[in-house]
Amino acid sequence: MPKLLQVSLFVPGILLFVLLFAMIPAVLQADPFGGDIQFQWSRGFSSIGEYVEGIWSGQSFRFLAGLNELSFWEQIGDSLKVTSFYMLIGAVMGMTLGVLIGVYFAVSRAEWFKRILELTGALPDFIIVIVLQFLIVIIAMKTGLVIAKVGSFSNDEPAILLPLLSTLIIPANYMCRNVALHMKHTFTEDYINFAKSRGLRKGYIIFCHALPNVLPYIKADLHKFMGILFGNLFIFEYLYNLHGITMMVFTNAFGREGYQYSLVVNGIITFLLLYAIVYMLLRLIILGWEKVLAR
Amino acid sequence: MNRTLLTGLIITAVIMAFSFLGQYFAPHDLSDQVAVNFAVDEKGQGTLTVPPVSPNTTYPFGTDKAGYDLMAKLIAGSKYTIIVTLVIAFARVFIGGIVGLLLGYFGTEKKPHAKPLPIWNMLNGIPMFIIVWMIMIGISMNPVASPLYLTIILAIVMTIVGIPSVASTVKDKTMVIKEKQFIISARSIGAGSVTIIRTHIFPHIKESFVIIFVQEIVLILGVLGQLAIFNVFVGGTTMYFDPLEYVSRTNEWTGLIGQARNYLFIHQWILLIPLAAYIIFIFGFHLISVGLETIYKEKYSKVSHI
Repeated sequence: MPKLLQVSLFVPGILLFVLLFAMIPAVLQADPFGGDIQFQWSRGFSSIGEYVEGIWSGQSFRFLAGLNELSFWEQIGDSLKVTSFYMLIGAVMGMTLGVLIGVYFAVSRAEWFKRILELTGALPDFIIVIVLQFLIVIIAMKTGLVIAKVGSFSNDEPAILLPLLSTLIIPANYMCRNVALHMKHTFTEDYINFAKSRGLRKGYIIFCHALPNVLPYIKADLHKFMGILFGNLFIFEYLYNLHGITMMVFTNAFGREGYQYSLVVNGIITFLLLYAIVYMLLRLIILGWEKVLAR
Repeated sequence: MNRTLLTGLIITAVIMAFSFLGQYFAPHDLSDQVAVNFAVDEKGQGTLTVPPVSPNTTYPFGTDKAGYDLMAKLIAGSKYTIIVTLVIAFARVFIGGIVGLLLGYFGTEKKPHAKPLPIWNMLNGIPMFIIVWMIMIGISMNPVASPLYLTIILAIVMTIVGIPSVASTVKDKTMVIKEKQFIISARSIGAGSVTIIRTHIFPHIKESFVIIFVQEIVLILGVLGQLAIFNVFVGGTTMYFDPLEYVSRTNEWTGLIGQARNYLFIHQWILLIPLAAYIIFIFGFHLISVGLETIYKEKYSKVSHI
């Protein structure tokens, strides 16, 4: 397929995918009496139709939160601020920390530390969130000292420390293991041996010979990294009660009048836009590293 | 066999034994319920028993809010947790493995400069639990269907969602082995495609299959947990209104965690005990996978120069 066609198909393709994806809960319904699963295609496609019609009348950008009808545009600003704050920090810091610690792990022999990292890496994100919350509660119960809020109880006093920690730990951990793995593999290559035999310094070999050859793997794995970061976002916004995009979509997806298709579509599109922005940013950072590390 | 692998095997074996034999030793069964009780002893001091009962000698794991023994619930639910994850992981590796082997063997090598369509990359970024959640949410709230039926549906959905990643991993490994000399020589003496795949390629990646299987188990447990956080439990969710409450119909472990999510500050054992069981279970499989990897690494890998 020519490149131009690919790019021009990309945006409509994504939009179509979002429209179809958001349709699933409307289409898949259990039969209220027999309990069998039914496919109500007509319902799904009519909700797409309503959405497209509603774009011009503005109805697609209104949703019900409880009994109140709210405007999507008014609500999205604050949510986007919260979400993008955590995502940008998680992406940039998470990747940088992950790469640095990964490099360190590839050369160090601190086996026990690696073990701990691997173990926490195997645990799903929500476990890490709950365990962090539990630690805070236990410390507070033993000493009476509340180190951090375990969740946001109101919009004015949001929890900061724990969400920030969890948005860093989980993606950084993944990146770190990944980098360490590829780094170790790169160290077995012959050109590293050659560089060593020429008497180059260890630090120089690591950062100027090995790391540039690991960067392509990081680039290739970026979507997986982003997937972990954004998947984690759903979990921790929900568990810490942060009012971000995913929280707004999740809490209102099933309103008083059933499934709110237009809200879910709008939410996912905003989410994907944020995804694209963060992805571009990370690519830029990697590009910067490539320029700096190039010999 | 190294120590890590052995520890992992022991942990998972103990949990499985506990799950399938536990009901014969457990002090209470699922129908036992602690009633609100006021007892006065000889000294005239009264004690009021109100569920939830914290862990004590009669209820080693305590009871939940309604007074049901947590240990009995864990034992009942563990069967779902264990069987569902093992079955899904096996199905993923079996189907994904065959698809990957065939794709890798018959597929052509990608041109180094041909980039994949960006849309497929983007889809990679969508977390798996969101997809499963979108499919399951419409059918798993207050369902009429039996828990078993819903469990099977969830298993099928989870299997289908997981096949592509397994298939692409196997495909990559197959592609590498396909280029080896012994494949060419086998082909030149007239071996058919099926024979080559079965007797020359498969034996080289059967160890990877074992590792993928164990890693898939860990991943599946994670996704089930994430679903449970968003109130989609294995076997369906009973939703009570006023106050709004979500209860697992099967007592499956992630369900127990999901429904007890709010016990952070008080009656913490209701959340802590299923959580601990779940974490230990994941650790068991993780240790197995790490142990296996070390064994294979010692066998095959090259040595680091730094």
